[in-house]
Amino acid sequence: MQMTKPAALPADWRDLYALTKPRVMSLVVFTALCGLLAAPAMPPLVIGFTAILCIALGAGAAGALNQWYEADLDAKMKRTANRPIPSGRLNRQTALHFAVGLGFFSVILMELATNWLAAVLLASSILFYVLIYTVWLKRRTAQNIVIGGAAGAFPPLIGWVAATGRIDLLPALLFAIIFLWTPPHFWALSLFVRSDYAAAKVPMMPVVAGYAATRRQILAYSIIMAAAAVSPWPLGLTGWIYGSVTAVLGVIFVGFAVAVARNDATEPKMMGPEKRLFAFSILYLFLLFAALVADRWLLA
Amino acid sequence: MTRIVGEEPKPEQEVVRARQRSQARITAWLLGSFVVLLFLITIAKVTGK
Repeated sequence: MQMTKPAALPADWRDLYALTKPRVMSLVVFTALCGLLAAPAMPPLVIGFTAILCIALGAGAAGALNQWYEADLDAKMKRTANRPIPSGRLNRQTALHFAVGLGFFSVILMELATNWLAAVLLASSILFYVLIYTVWLKRRTAQNIVIGGAAGAFPPLIGWVAATGRIDLLPALLFAIIFLWTPPHFWALSLFVRSDYAAAKVPMMPVVAGYAATRRQILAYSIIMAAAAVSPWPLGLTGWIYGSVTAVLGVIFVGFAVAVARNDATEPKMMGPEKRLFAFSILYLFLLFAALVADRWLLA
Repeated sequence: MTRIVGEEPKPEQEVVRARQRSQARITAWLLGSFVVLLFLITIAKVTGK
């Protein structure tokens, strides 16, 4: 893997910040915070703050390591060509040092501030994203984001464990919900940026299995995810606020997925349903976790 | 790149120095914040609040 343009200047902090994928981090921080706030035990404020900070820094480290490893791939895709490394603004070695340092720092601080289990989970999520998803799966199989989706499912679990020191059924279900949410979310995106992935030879589902198969799988995962999302309510782990909000959101999500399944467009400009599903999937996760916290704090 | 008439191009060394100064300032802020955070964590661990 070769960097195309060498960077002579010292790194600019804005490029280091961009390396951490701040937009992805916002969802990570939010779900982690909700996992922590939904836990039955509340840690002291500064400990809770530090736990969320560590999860954000850990996610940043994973994102930076991903960009360090995929610099050659990013350079081939329109969507990612302007990232700090492929654009030549940031040296690869600087990016690696920054990412590894940030990763170690986040895990050690998590252990110092909260507990060893939360630190182990944080380290596992970073390693999973980098080694299992980025290095192993992404360029080899169309199931890359199905298995790799587990990395993004860790934050609420870590938030909960940071507060309680143990893994319970509810955070395990939250893990499962994000795990099942990832395929429809990413496949909707990969349908309308398929040419980018094909040009970079990344075996995303639409590139390998085609449009129709991807759309069918989006619908299948959406139905399973919507059912899994409601499940904490009948299991008695949450109250009616969470249950009713997720039931309504699930119906809307599946409705968008049905529209995707019925679409047979191959041109990105004709992929309105896919773009709507992608946008709604982000809102869905925000609202689901907000409902979880509202349920816990209003009905407790 | 367009050059504004009358404006001398910035020597590269100066740009490098400016970046280094910016890095040093940010590092100092981060280290200072880290010390404060460690202090607060210690207090929270000791008092449980």
